[in-house]
Amino acid sequence: MAFAWKAAGLTYNRYLTVAARAVRRSLKDGPRAAAERRGNMDLRFAKWENGKQGEVKSLAKANDEALAAQAESK
Amino acid sequence: MSSLRFARSAFRARPSAFRVPLQRRGYAEAVSDKIKLSLTLPHQSIFKSTGVVQVNIPAESGEMGVLANHVPSIEQLKPGLVEIVEEGGASKKFFLSGGFAVVQPDSQLSINAVEGFPLEEFSIDNVRSQIAEAQKIANGSGSEQDIAEAKIELEVLESLQAVLK
Repeated sequence: MAFAWKAAGLTYNRYLTVAARAVRRSLKDGPRAAAERRGNMDLRFAKWENGKQGEVKSLAKANDEALAAQAESK
Repeated sequence: MSSLRFARSAFRARPSAFRVPLQRRGYAEAVSDKIKLSLTLPHQSIFKSTGVVQVNIPAESGEMGVLANHVPSIEQLKPGLVEIVEEGGASKKFFLSGGFAVVQPDSQLSINAVEGFPLEEFSIDNVRSQIAEAQKIANGSGSEQDIAEAKIELEVLESLQAVLK
């Protein structure tokens, strides 16, 4: 029961992110604005093949897709 | 508060006590062992090797209180309340979002978490509205991940609601 999220294919890292997000959103409005900025992540990556840059993707979106694909294949 | 001041002055008076023969033994000297607590977040350290009397942590294996000279151990923390009892009996309460607590052999306790705030910074209304939202998702027909994430949020929020009451 304690690790139901593991069965759904979530990683511990993801678990911590979701838990921290819920805590930040529960704050009073003053400290919340400052805290929520910490939860934002904006990383992009591209794969280089044969000296050419491939499509630039958002890391967060690519992670979500990979997670969903992994859970389905189980 | 006055007992705290007395304990401090007794501590300061110690070096001179080496020169003159010790007349009496005070209570403050008898209980000198404290645990050194470091409570750290990625962006802030709330306690930095500060001597405290006792720390109560919500470990995954159950609630536990850590005093000085505790057996070395590593505990995964549930999202929950950490209570720090300082010298003089005053206690501070923080809600942590989950992480790890490491008890080291030399009476050191390191707690790492992603987010942690004192209780007075939380708003019960925000907690309640989030619970309603998360329950909708958890009982809905979303993907398995969405439901699992909503259940994690519920676990956090319900524990938060219980300590705020």
